[in-house]
Amino acid sequence: MRILFVMDQRVDRGSIQSMSNYVRAGRETGHDIALYGCADPRFPTIRFSRDVGAFDYVVFLVESWRHWMSALRMPRIFAEVPRDRRAIVDADGMYNPIVSAAGYDRNYQWEQHRAEWFAHYRTVTDRIFQPTFRPRQAGVRSLLFYGYDPAQQIHPGSSPAKAYDMLCVGHNWWRWRQISRELLPAIERVRSRIGAVAFIGSWWDSIPAGAAELGVESAFGTDPAWLRRLRIEVRPAVSYTEVVPVMSTGHINIMTQRPLFRELKILTSKFFEVFSADTIPLVMIDPDHAELVYGPAGRELALEGDAIAEKLLDALCRPHRYRDVVDAVRTHLVAHHTYRNRVQELVAALQQSPTLEAETAFA
Amino acid sequence: MKLLIVSRFDRSARAISTIVNYVRAGRALGHHVALFADPLADLPDVPTSRDPKSFDHVMFVVYETPDFPDLPYLAHLLDGVPRERRIVVDCTGRYNDTITVEHDFNHLEKMDNHMGWEWIDGFDSVAKTVLQPTLTPRRPPARGFLFHAFDPSAVQHPYDNAEQAARAWEGRSSERSRYGLAYVGNNWQRWSQMRGLLEGLSPIKDRLGPIALVGWAWDHRPDWAAELGIDGIDTDTALLQELGVELRGNIPFSEVIPFVSQARFAPVIHRPLFNHLGIVTNRTFETFCSDAIPLLMLPPDTIESIYGPAARPLAVGDDVAAHVEAIQRCPEVYWDAVLKTRAHLSSVHSYQRRMQELSALLDA
Repeated sequence: MRILFVMDQRVDRGSIQSMSNYVRAGRETGHDIALYGCADPRFPTIRFSRDVGAFDYVVFLVESWRHWMSALRMPRIFAEVPRDRRAIVDADGMYNPIVSAAGYDRNYQWEQHRAEWFAHYRTVTDRIFQPTFRPRQAGVRSLLFYGYDPAQQIHPGSSPAKAYDMLCVGHNWWRWRQISRELLPAIERVRSRIGAVAFIGSWWDSIPAGAAELGVESAFGTDPAWLRRLRIEVRPAVSYTEVVPVMSTGHINIMTQRPLFRELKILTSKFFEVFSADTIPLVMIDPDHAELVYGPAGRELALEGDAIAEKLLDALCRPHRYRDVVDAVRTHLVAHHTYRNRVQELVAALQQSPTLEAETAFA
Repeated sequence: MKLLIVSRFDRSARAISTIVNYVRAGRALGHHVALFADPLADLPDVPTSRDPKSFDHVMFVVYETPDFPDLPYLAHLLDGVPRERRIVVDCTGRYNDTITVEHDFNHLEKMDNHMGWEWIDGFDSVAKTVLQPTLTPRRPPARGFLFHAFDPSAVQHPYDNAEQAARAWEGRSSERSRYGLAYVGNNWQRWSQMRGLLEGLSPIKDRLGPIALVGWAWDHRPDWAAELGIDGIDTDTALLQELGVELRGNIPFSEVIPFVSQARFAPVIHRPLFNHLGIVTNRTFETFCSDAIPLLMLPPDTIESIYGPAARPLAVGDDVAAHVEAIQRCPEVYWDAVLKTRAHLSSVHSYQRRMQELSALLDA
């Protein structure tokens, strides 16, 4: 099958890592997969194509913004690929009713916006997939989409030197409440017993310009003074090609998830790529969800409640034990969540009948 | 002809004034021109429609990607009118190879998330006909169509002759002439020229009178511009304060001519990219409707080709202060240039002429 992805590709955020994996896993499994666009040196591992009509399916990978599905892109795709050969991977759970997580993070602020998104999606496609085990909205199919690439794993022998005891690689996008209420107090309690700590990503020490204008200022809460007091180094985001090597410079890596995604049990690239790094991942998700994704061993890597500080110290003090746990998770990921599996699942999903009825004559 | 215009109808930016004039000129010529929108309460005489199928042509007036409507409206437009009957008016030279002039550009991915080739591909997909408001389009099959035009009926104070105009201009009360110089427009890719103008006028600021800049971001450099490293939007608050420049935010398009008419001088500035491509704007023509003497800060060939030879005296040379003082000494000479240029614009660049040109282009 020939599949063309269309997305808002950014070199240091979003789902770009998964695109790289789909291109490679597609090649390995006899499918031709590319990303819409022109060859770009910033994305050395990704095959691009503008030949829209040459593909069997076009799959839009949509996160929290859709302005990139603009009139410069959509008319050409509409003209060359009929609606029944277009699909959306709804990565951020936008095709849901308004969902508010802890009265803080939400997919929409206003019902009008939700209605506009739904109309937009239904114009584009009759197939919507979400990377969760249990979609809530009628007409949406589960497609876990993100996966694990065993070939990407960095082994201890080839791993970069460990510069940090603890790393958090990701952006401060709806993360601050969890970080400030759970992780930082835990770090504070045991800070003297932990070496270097760094947050690597965007917006940990400043709110981006225009956030208030866009009504998303609350997504970027931060307290740079507190971070400084805790001697937490803040470093800028890195290219997707550097994420796993950079994670490997930390003895442990903390994976956080925005509250909305926790609520909807949405998977992301980070769920899997942190296990490619030579590190001990500790995941700030519900233990049940950790077990569902990572297998029984995953439960031991979940960070929650009052035991976070002790778990951080335990992982640093007993690395061999945790490495065994991590290896058990990797074995589970190889069995259930490789990108080869994901490509086959995507191909099968595209071959299934549509999930939504057409609401526009446009095709 | 039944023409449906699609754009973002911001009341204080881009082409809203031109578009409303198309509606009126079209009506006078027996055409039906409507805006793709729900009814506009503040413009009750402007027809609107959401039914593209009932129109002969759909004209997308594009500055930025949000000038296209969102889905599903976009799909309805593409569904309802075949590509052969869809037109893009490319107001900012997007349908070209990527061009950088000073700090200005026609494509910048970090600004709008689209690479240069996407503008070409996108316009080609949306419409068979791409028109650019320049006499010298560069990239086939784009065609030159100035789009913006002059409305003689909007002239604030028509004068019979230059002597009368000069007398009125000299004898204005301070109430009618609140400003020595006024400029209405957003501070986007204008600052380098505006700075040159203000610095040039600095030695004569007391004899010139107060200066007003009206529009977006004259008072600050937006954080996002600094974050993205966009140098085409800048300002110098110290210089503005030193010259006592009055800053005001956006005003509706219907207030532009009356406001500028409160000044004795009104600069006509095109952004560097537009000077390079010969692109004209609404303000190119509208400034001549005001009761101020235009200071033409444009390339000589643009002045000659758009305004005609009579406008030559209005061109600001290297010494703007000397130019302004020359006007103050002999306003009649310059008002003669203004009135002759208005006559030229009425004859060659009226909205009626534009409608006829557009109709001929589409018929062809």
